[in-house]
Amino acid sequence: MNKLLSQFSVGLFALSFLFITSCSDDQEVSTAPEVSFYVPDGFPQPAYSFKNNAFTPLRFELGKKLFYDPILSRDSTISCGSCHQQFAAFAHLDHFVSHGINDLLGTRNAPPLFNLAWHSEFMLDGGVANFELQPFAPITNPVEMDETIANAVMKLQRSSLYPSLFRSAYGSDSITSQMMARAITLFMAGLISADSKYDRYKKGTATFSDAEKRGYALFKAKCESCHTEPLFTDLKYRNNGLDSRFNDAGRAHITTLPQDSGKFKVPSLRNVALSYPYMHDGRFRTLSSIIDHYRSGIKQSSTLDPLLINGNMSISDAEKADILSFLNTLTDQTFITNKKFGE
Amino acid sequence: MKNIFKLLILTSVITLTFTGCKKDDDDTTPAGGGSTNYTSGDVTIDFTNTAGTTNLDVSGATSYINEAGESFAVTNFKYYISNVKLIKQDGSVYSVPESYYLIDEGDQSTVTPVLPSIPGGIYTGIRYTIGVDSARNVSGAQTGALDPANGMFWSWNSGYIFVKCEGTSSASSNGNLVFHIGGFKESNNTNALRNVEFNFPSPYLTVNGTREAEIHIIADVLKMFKGTETVSFAANNFQMSPGGFALTMANNYQNMFSFDHIHN
Repeated sequence: MNKLLSQFSVGLFALSFLFITSCSDDQEVSTAPEVSFYVPDGFPQPAYSFKNNAFTPLRFELGKKLFYDPILSRDSTISCGSCHQQFAAFAHLDHFVSHGINDLLGTRNAPPLFNLAWHSEFMLDGGVANFELQPFAPITNPVEMDETIANAVMKLQRSSLYPSLFRSAYGSDSITSQMMARAITLFMAGLISADSKYDRYKKGTATFSDAEKRGYALFKAKCESCHTEPLFTDLKYRNNGLDSRFNDAGRAHITTLPQDSGKFKVPSLRNVALSYPYMHDGRFRTLSSIIDHYRSGIKQSSTLDPLLINGNMSISDAEKADILSFLNTLTDQTFITNKKFGE
Repeated sequence: MKNIFKLLILTSVITLTFTGCKKDDDDTTPAGGGSTNYTSGDVTIDFTNTAGTTNLDVSGATSYINEAGESFAVTNFKYYISNVKLIKQDGSVYSVPESYYLIDEGDQSTVTPVLPSIPGGIYTGIRYTIGVDSARNVSGAQTGALDPANGMFWSWNSGYIFVKCEGTSSASSNGNLVFHIGGFKESNNTNALRNVEFNFPSPYLTVNGTREAEIHIIADVLKMFKGTETVSFAANNFQMSPGGFALTMANNYQNMFSFDHIHN
């Protein structure tokens, strides 16, 4: 009977193996399981389905190569990684707006990149409505990489390297913009940040100081409704009172709706200590100045978020210090030093 | 006992291997009322792009006059046709699967799209959408006619440009005409998708094996600038985002197509 059971379980194993591999006729099985997509403890299911673009290490590696390759810019001078630096949680450290080819300046602060598979809309104004479509935006933006999609694909096709990499990852060396976008998407999907002190505290493997505990309680009382755990964003578009008149219409730029003027996507607070400067236009250089904004800088306007309608929040100096302590627990050193994500 | 288990496992493996890879290819709507006398065949739609009654020249060398009386020339005229449906004599509707076509007057290989393997029978009409349905606008990176590399895609506000007309006009403040019309969100009041339907006169379209079946449709670029609202290039010489003036253009281009004739 034991022998029989063991044969049965071997059979089951074979069966499950076949079941999994039979659906992946367009991908290769890698023996190096270095990177994987996973749902961290406490996270919801991701928004990106992976249905037509299963996560494989080969695809991740290809996406990483594309992410760091300036070939995707018109003059081959900048890559995605130029403005999304790992040590800054894939934001552009110390740059208040994006820098493109020929030192051209964009109008908005390059956001950090992590936990993006849980987003269904991208960019500060949510203009990109699918994860796979995101790579096309910076590639074609005239003040970013300023390349056409057709030309980017042609350059990849003509390179000595990429056709075979695409064949390994996607089963064809006839490169399409879809394959290019999907590979970059999987690299970005693999950028999961969920190993901060906060995460360890939640798992019970780290302890908070008294200041961090007080800061966490204050965070829950004053910040959580927009910077919702575990992503530390509710993924909505809000006007947080930066201006009474808007130089940048933000979300309204996409929806054309006046009630969306001056609204931007709520940023995640994970790794926030690493990704200065802050706000859509990079106007704040420090976390301290952000809290000061909520204490004394909120400006009224017709689209000001209802949660801020009463104006400046009451936060004492001591409370501010505690909140800053807590925000620093959201820094994920494992994430920013993970060599799998680096150039 | 041992052998039964082995057999069971083997059978399961085979079953799962064969069923596990079901592709999404069963969204073809079967045409009702099919006659056994007819066999399936291809149907070609022949789009003739015109400016009024003359064939459209997209070299920029020919001068046309719009409804507002302004002279202009055309350098680019492209549009998406999607979700093609053929109406059978019995009223049933055959939806052509994956029917997304980019018609580009500058590339004559694109103006006669072939609808493959249409069920045999008599058809009395056609319906299609100008543009790309909202689902495909948000379904991730696409290929073929919908490849963003075709230049009919906004990457900053992700979605397809449904109709693109570019050219020059002395009436335009900068000499140029740039009309990129799209948008699909009803909630934002930016929906530029428009549906077109034509009923064929008798004798109707017959699909039967290899015999040639063609539907000839005319698209008149002049009608983009008149109809619902006359467009003056002095007032409007560009549109490159959804909403607003794009809806005026959409209401105009809804009527830019006309049925010409069928070939059987």
